Amino acid sequence: MDFAGVKQVGAAAHATLPRMGVRGVTVEYPGVRALDEVTVDFMAGEIHAVVGENGAGKSTLMKVLSGALAPNAGEVLRNGEPTILRGPRAAIRAGISMVHQELNLVATLSVAENVLLGREPTFLAGIAVDRPQQRERARALLAMLGAEMDLDRAVSELSIADCQYVEIAKCLASEAQVLILDEPTAVLGEHEASKLLQLLRRLRDEGRAVLFISHHLDEVVDVADRVSVLRDGRLVARFQRNAVGVLQSEDGTVATEDAMAQAMVGRELGSIYPPKGGAKPGETPAIELIEFGAADRSRDVSVRVFPGEIVGIAGLVGSGRTETAEAIVGLRRPVGKIRVAGAERTFKDPRAAMRHGVTYVSEDRKGRGLHVSLSSIANMTLPSLDAFSQFGGARIDAVAERSVTARWINELAIRCARPGLPISSLSGGNQQKFALARWLETRPNVLIIDEPTRGVDIGAKAEIYRIIAALAQEGLACIVISSELPELIGLAHRVLVMRNGSVAGEVTREQLAEAGCEERIVRIASGLRAERQETHE
Amino acid sequence: MSKSHTGMAVRMQRFLEHWGVLVAFVLLFAVSAFKQGGDFLSIENFRNLLNQNAAVGILAVGMTLVIVSAGIDLSVGSMVVLAAAVGTTAMNALIEAGWSEPSAVVSGALVTILAGTAAGALNGALIVFGRIAPFIATLGGLAAFRSIALAIAEAGEIRSQSPTMFSALGRGGIPLPFAENSAGKALTISWSTVIFFAVAIAAQWFLSRARFGRQLVAVGANETAARYAGVPVAWIRFRVYALMGALAGVAGLVQSSRMNSVSTAQLGLGSELDAIAAVVIGGTSLRGGFGRIWGTVAGVLILGMITNILTISGVSPYWQGAVKGAVIVLAVLVQRGSRA
Repeated sequence: MDFAGVKQVGAAAHATLPRMGVRGVTVEYPGVRALDEVTVDFMAGEIHAVVGENGAGKSTLMKVLSGALAPNAGEVLRNGEPTILRGPRAAIRAGISMVHQELNLVATLSVAENVLLGREPTFLAGIAVDRPQQRERARALLAMLGAEMDLDRAVSELSIADCQYVEIAKCLASEAQVLILDEPTAVLGEHEASKLLQLLRRLRDEGRAVLFISHHLDEVVDVADRVSVLRDGRLVARFQRNAVGVLQSEDGTVATEDAMAQAMVGRELGSIYPPKGGAKPGETPAIELIEFGAADRSRDVSVRVFPGEIVGIAGLVGSGRTETAEAIVGLRRPVGKIRVAGAERTFKDPRAAMRHGVTYVSEDRKGRGLHVSLSSIANMTLPSLDAFSQFGGARIDAVAERSVTARWINELAIRCARPGLPISSLSGGNQQKFALARWLETRPNVLIIDEPTRGVDIGAKAEIYRIIAALAQEGLACIVISSELPELIGLAHRVLVMRNGSVAGEVTREQLAEAGCEERIVRIASGLRAERQETHE
Repeated sequence: MSKSHTGMAVRMQRFLEHWGVLVAFVLLFAVSAFKQGGDFLSIENFRNLLNQNAAVGILAVGMTLVIVSAGIDLSVGSMVVLAAAVGTTAMNALIEAGWSEPSAVVSGALVTILAGTAAGALNGALIVFGRIAPFIATLGGLAAFRSIALAIAEAGEIRSQSPTMFSALGRGGIPLPFAENSAGKALTISWSTVIFFAVAIAAQWFLSRARFGRQLVAVGANETAARYAGVPVAWIRFRVYALMGALAGVAGLVQSSRMNSVSTAQLGLGSELDAIAAVVIGGTSLRGGFGRIWGTVAGVLILGMITNILTISGVSPYWQGAVKGAVIVLAVLVQRGSRA
């Protein structure tokens, strides 16, 4: 399929004035400059992709554009005029709508109610909702998107893809001229993703400015008219589609996936992964799962992890990876068997698992992994609090707490000047190191770490990989769950691929070293086992 | 508005968020002293202020811990009357059975505290194991516990059969040197005040220095994260309600010994609101995860002083509730500040 022609029509027809833009925008958080004098224009009738590593400032830029965040310096322009957006509601009134990664729908309300949330058609002087008209308007909006669904169904029963359509229909209901999407395809299957991209093209052709963040560089090359690359809060590269439909920068560099990745990272990829140590099979597995799973979410996961081994778990979001891990430490109801160091165990909660040396670092750092409102020290010592307790818990040894925290700050090179302050004042990378350190302090034999580098900048990423590799070298058995394939490939000795709640395949150490192994994993994860011709060549 | 102006306003706001309760305390203190002159500043007046508010103070300290855990306990007033009714009845029965007065009084006191603990533990069990929202579970307790007390005494009064010791506990105290009351007798710091301060100091210690307090804060700040971190969430939550019950028992003991009787229709009526109000005025977040006992103590005394001032100024008791209500809302507005 080739949409280059369509793109040109769309771009030529509307790309005259910048619908929106930022000039020299700077945003500072304590200890980190999330955006550093970024200037960029977003044209009507164009799809503008913003790419960058985690922590590069993409989300911050989107927040500034959608009015959720006021920049410390610089200005936001609308139709060329400086403007101040006082909150997301003001932005929506100004025709700027954002589709968040975690969709903002009311789960218990119906599709029709969600689409027209806050702008319900009413009668009786605004007292009563005009239900027939509400349904009709919602139906019309969804039809514009080419989506058909039961308008009376509760949103909680919809698939993620349908939820996204509802969210976009909601934006259209508010007559959005600027549409901002944060990783819209991250949670979609391949087919759904291509449908969504098709929709973005339609919205663009109708003259809207479409902005989207994506980690999938292939789709960026496919669909974007312009690409801005952010790194460490700075705009480091721009690409624009030229007259013959090729994305290239001003100096003529063609925006291949490699070129973009290079710009994002700013150095050679691959160097961030430490060398892989040798696993020690032959000993008793540190942990063994036998036909294990989380009730109703996963099943038949059988794996042995030996001391010193790093086993990766890949799979799409919703494939049951996290649920399985949570079931191991008793956060969900398990099915099947667990053997820890040869002995069969069932853990009723993370506390029990911890006593037997099995620990789980959650993917959801802010909601589950840490207490953001508490100090770094309190976060650091919470799992191992018993070890700091004196007189039957009547006193916590504050001196020991401080010195242990200081030791980990030193050991993991955590940037934390005042550990007594709330941990939310630290950057994502440093928070993640604490999320890891608090469990290492319990001296685990098995470490299950879920999305170890989500929301972490590239420097801290490399350090976290180094730490995990070093821990494995010392004999820790690691299970790394991740959506970032390069991370699994670079770090793990072997990778299990999960799909629909069970293990769909395994990629061995030898296969991980081969070129094209990323594709192999993707294919297993999405259920395409057969080799497939490259279509976009 | 110029930048320095906003800076000033923000700093003022932050200051009030933190120390507003102390500012209010000092202001009220000054107003009281002005209105009542030397009378207010007398040691006797302080003694009475503390004495009158000790029971609510003990409840408010417990309530602070419950609220830190992101819970609420509406049943405290009813637990007070239930514990006092059960304890006093037990004491009377023991005296009638021929026990010596000291052993009957001590046993009765223990029964009072145990009865409160049992009621609190029932709340905790319903909330933790029955998975009933604290508001609902303790709303049930609010109705049920008083009803049981009323049934025990047939809605009447339970008079203490202890000739002297029980009321000595309620009215006696540690004599203060050099202090005399208006009638020329030696002044005492009442036992109830001593108990109030002891409970407050212990609670402050537990909240900031002990494992239980740390885990309580963790549960209140984010229960899910606490569970993921291996905190025994159910056990912690259960314990805080049982502890609240025990403190309600203590408050019941303080009140019944002061009155030398238990009026089942009146004792502890509405104290859940006073206790919650004191906690809120003191700056503890109703969302849980943060609390300060000293703020609560200041909140209790502020409420006490307001009542004092209004009474002395001749404001009708009917209006006093309105003034208190306004103060509570104002306190929340000032402290909520920029977090709103």
